[in-house]
Amino acid sequence: MNGIERVQATLTGQAVDRRAVAPVLSLYGARLTGCPLDRYYTDSEFYARGQAAVADLFQPDLLFSSFSFASVGAAFGGNLFFSGNQAPNLRRPAILSPEEWDTLVWPRHDTNPHLLYFQETIQRLVEAHGSEVLVAAPVVPPFDVPTLVMGIEGWLRLVLTDRSRARGVLEKCVPFFVEMANSYFEAGAACVVAPCGFMSPSVVTRDIAEHFSRPALAAALPQLKGPIVLHHVGAPMLAHLDLLTGLPSTLGLAVDRQDDLDQARAIAGPDLTIFGGPSVFRMPGYTASEIEADCRALLENRRQDARFILCTAGPDVPWETPPENIQALRRTAESFSGRSVPA
Amino acid sequence: MDIQRELLDTVLRADQAGANALLDAWAAEHGYGRLLVDVVEPMLEYVGRTYMDSQSVTLAQAYVAGMIAEDALNKMVAQNRRGQAENVSPRGPVVIGNIEEDFHALGRRMVGTFLTAEGWQVHDLGNDVSAQQFVDKAQEVGARVIGVSAMMTTTARNIGHLRAEIDRRGLTGRIQLAVGGAIFVLCPELVQEVGGDGTAQNALGATRLFEQLWQRSLEREAGA
Repeated sequence: MNGIERVQATLTGQAVDRRAVAPVLSLYGARLTGCPLDRYYTDSEFYARGQAAVADLFQPDLLFSSFSFASVGAAFGGNLFFSGNQAPNLRRPAILSPEEWDTLVWPRHDTNPHLLYFQETIQRLVEAHGSEVLVAAPVVPPFDVPTLVMGIEGWLRLVLTDRSRARGVLEKCVPFFVEMANSYFEAGAACVVAPCGFMSPSVVTRDIAEHFSRPALAAALPQLKGPIVLHHVGAPMLAHLDLLTGLPSTLGLAVDRQDDLDQARAIAGPDLTIFGGPSVFRMPGYTASEIEADCRALLENRRQDARFILCTAGPDVPWETPPENIQALRRTAESFSGRSVPA
Repeated sequence: MDIQRELLDTVLRADQAGANALLDAWAAEHGYGRLLVDVVEPMLEYVGRTYMDSQSVTLAQAYVAGMIAEDALNKMVAQNRRGQAENVSPRGPVVIGNIEEDFHALGRRMVGTFLTAEGWQVHDLGNDVSAQQFVDKAQEVGARVIGVSAMMTTTARNIGHLRAEIDRRGLTGRIQLAVGGAIFVLCPELVQEVGGDGTAQNALGATRLFEQLWQRSLEREAGA
């Protein structure tokens, strides 16, 4: 089986030769190629070279397009800032007051260079690797777009103090999200992955998640031209995981390392694929043996669960992670080869 | 139901408007002079004590608690009653800021609000603050605690420069280093790695941490 066959078999609950492995290695490609980050995150050719190195060294079953949400904020006029060995951040958001939403010029997906970059990285990855692996595209969900436009404090304050105006902003973000995700599908992405910040129990109350954020997803997802994975954004999601079920276009849920996988499966139901794995925050400090032991425990836990993909839990795998710690994921999956996975 | 319990309920619902209505109603009867001491501080203390060791408080709830404290302060100032707040003895000064190359201001601002609400004199240096700037300001104002925030592993490691600068100037122990940000909750070992003297699970736990570190600084100096 190649990566495509392995992932597609997993998604449909069929038998696989080994577990599919999907570490999030967007940033890591820059390390492997020694590429300056300001070029890596603005020029799709350099990003594609980095991902070619990722594919060569780690042979993942999924490749990820650029995981640089700050660049979406830059498309609105935010000030992008590169420092250290990490994806760019926003030094200053595009707008500071709620009133500025009324006159905001929304960037176009077909002309804005920051947004075109994402589509170009997908096209390049599909051209180079599309016969072997699927390409997944990180996408900003509608309720988190304002975080990139006005900063998390401004958006949180607006949601908490003026729900009516916040809902008006959110309604404008739905078509922006739909166009963004569909532009990724048109570029060749097999699925999009949405880290759901404003659905997370660590960020918002259940009331906000259920009555403010979820309706935006419910409105947006039927308009997508492909499937979506809803992601835990780097913190436990179990308490709100039920709010991510029953939505159209959803093929899977990515859960945190602290989330109980049995409970997650019970909440998700039998048809959604669960993505789980070692915490990226632990990957630099652990030894490869410790990562392997963690992965083995996860696979043992999911032995009877056909719809499970071993990934890394959290945002991008940190730059300083030793390569052998990343290789430990696939090595563990291979050591499970031949064991029964229900068809 | 008493005012503190009602206020706590509004925090847990992340209901800012409800909290404001409660505080205004209470102040209409009792005045703003004791609003912080009798109402807001006990609520913050309870929430901090209950949730500082867990991750069960959401960012939205903590933010509402911060807005309540900020609003209460602003209303007291607006009515020129700040000086009449009883039993609020000034504490500090302390210095806070985000370490160089870090621009995630929300947590730091919340810490500043909670500290101010509990009477600390806070010097907030903002985002992207160098080690030299932190220590210069701490020496200038006589701060015994520097609170430094970082969100990512990479920027958290820049705090090591601040640790080195404190030590280089012979201020080890005299100036205590409080470190905070989500990454320290996810990777507690980072506190020691960057040379922090302590951390808190969230912004609500910061006031207790600063009090502990301030005492430690005094004890260190007395024992020297």
